[in-house]
Amino acid sequence: MCDHSKNIYKPYLATIAELRDETSDIRSLRLVFQDEEVREKFTFRAGQFAEYSAFGAGESTFCIASSPTRQGYIECCFRAVGRVTDALRSLEVGDTVGVRGPYGNSFPIEEFYGKNLVFVAGGIALPPLRTVIWNCLDLRDKFGDITIVYGARTEADLVYKHELAEWEARSDVRLVKTVDPGGNGPTWDGKVGFVPTVLEEAAPAAANTVALVCGPPIMIKFTLPVLEKLGFADDAIYTTLENRMKCGLGKCGRCNVGNVYVCKDGPVFTARQVKAMPQEF
Amino acid sequence: MPKMITEQNLRALIDLLVKEGSRVVGPKAAGTMTLYEPLAAGEELVLTELPRRSAKEAFFPLCETILTYAKGEEGVQVNDIDPARFPETVLVAVRPCDAAAPGILDAVFSWDYDDQFYQERRKKTAIIGLACTKADDACFCTAVGLSPAETQGSDLFLTPLSGGGFRVEAVTEKGEKLLARYSQLFGEAGSAQPLPPAEPGGEKLELARIKAWLDANFESPLWQEIADRCAGCGACAFLCPACHCFDINDEGTEAKGARRKSWDACGFAKFTNHASGHNPRDAQNKRYRNRLMHKFKYYDDKFGKHLCTGCGRCVRACPVGIDIKAVLDEINSK
Repeated sequence: MCDHSKNIYKPYLATIAELRDETSDIRSLRLVFQDEEVREKFTFRAGQFAEYSAFGAGESTFCIASSPTRQGYIECCFRAVGRVTDALRSLEVGDTVGVRGPYGNSFPIEEFYGKNLVFVAGGIALPPLRTVIWNCLDLRDKFGDITIVYGARTEADLVYKHELAEWEARSDVRLVKTVDPGGNGPTWDGKVGFVPTVLEEAAPAAANTVALVCGPPIMIKFTLPVLEKLGFADDAIYTTLENRMKCGLGKCGRCNVGNVYVCKDGPVFTARQVKAMPQEF
Repeated sequence: MPKMITEQNLRALIDLLVKEGSRVVGPKAAGTMTLYEPLAAGEELVLTELPRRSAKEAFFPLCETILTYAKGEEGVQVNDIDPARFPETVLVAVRPCDAAAPGILDAVFSWDYDDQFYQERRKKTAIIGLACTKADDACFCTAVGLSPAETQGSDLFLTPLSGGGFRVEAVTEKGEKLLARYSQLFGEAGSAQPLPPAEPGGEKLELARIKAWLDANFESPLWQEIADRCAGCGACAFLCPACHCFDINDEGTEAKGARRKSWDACGFAKFTNHASGHNPRDAQNKRYRNRLMHKFKYYDDKFGKHLCTGCGRCVRACPVGIDIKAVLDEINSK
């Protein structure tokens, strides 16, 4: 990593190269570092996060949503719900943001080589898995079957719609998309039902398979028993915790779950690790 | 031979240090309070009171600028803070409970990522500790393994003598250098006897036993009993020498401003509130539990130390009378 400052709170500067509205309030940004050296040397692993700043508003924590296999830029995806995210959303192509990172641990993708993968995501929690999905699709030969179960409340709430279409069209990916009952429009061609139910119907085989699950707490809560029923061991299930953070560096004291610091020990955990934590997340 | 310094010469030492350009920070009258504040002259030093806030702000200020930014013709410019601007500092008449705190906080500010704001100030600061000969009902340093005569954390350590003045002990190399450099102000202690150290009352705590209880009692009715009273005001955290939680915020406009790091408190309701509205610590009992667990379990799990020096400030200041020592006594007796 390029160490251009001893100030651990100083962000790199990045230019918004592209932006895309995923839903009415969720936006994706593609960011290109302004410093040539940083652009060349910035590396990260799927699952790591960063602190993104809109100068004058402050910093927010999101995962790096693009794949480490796609170099020259990073992407993030956020919902405009507060001071910083509203400010980030008001920026345009060509504007500058700050980026600190990458921080935290990552998905042990090398350990997944030779295995089947099942991705289970809900709503705005697709970005932390999308980085892994593209990472794995870019190394497609190294993995067995790839299944993606993704759902949102309504059709309009699905993010990365164009990529869902792309995955759906591929013969080497099985995409199961769903919306909650009542969230389907007249032309909806996916499933209707909650993610855990749809996952159970899709019934991916657990043998030699790793499941990666990201979603709102309520979805995770009902998805883990389904995976268990399908035969997945707690060590074969990965998720990320998305606690509020400020420093991202293990110092500011707010992301801990018991003695686990999500910013340093996480954000990626196995279901076994999550179950061992105090249930306060 | 042990050294001594008269009170007059201690004040003269401060004058000399100030004249030489050092920042000297010590207990000083500030309105109705005594605070650790920069001293302009030795005569400002207050030797009788425990300052209202701890000495941690000498390393970790209540609010500090970590960068500035400005938007110009050629984009955004981010300006670093030059650590060279942190002055050489001498902390004078620091009570043992305050002098011990930086040695505890070093761990969190340096693991993996070095917080240069804290560390540079640490490097550039010498601590002259002062033994306590008086304790009040809230003091409990002896219960957490320290003492009114504890030299750990100080570079030079002063103990009041019965006939006036202080016995001087060099605890570290930094302290020895101070002693050598200003040798003209120090004399031989001779047969002068130090005053006996203060004797804080209360039972000694078995911290390992408390830790074992905390390990097993994340769920306990105790948390709700305490939280029924806690107002979530955060006074305990702001006065604590060892609390280190902070927030990072921008002050200014899109065009120009500063990013600042400011003290925060895990007792505040919004401390852990997610953007979605979900809050992992959504009730005061969970927040108080985190405070106590962080101090006596989590920090110990991570760094082998506990985040409390027994200064008693949180006990004195709590508007609803929550006494952490009484809570610890209760856990100790379980």
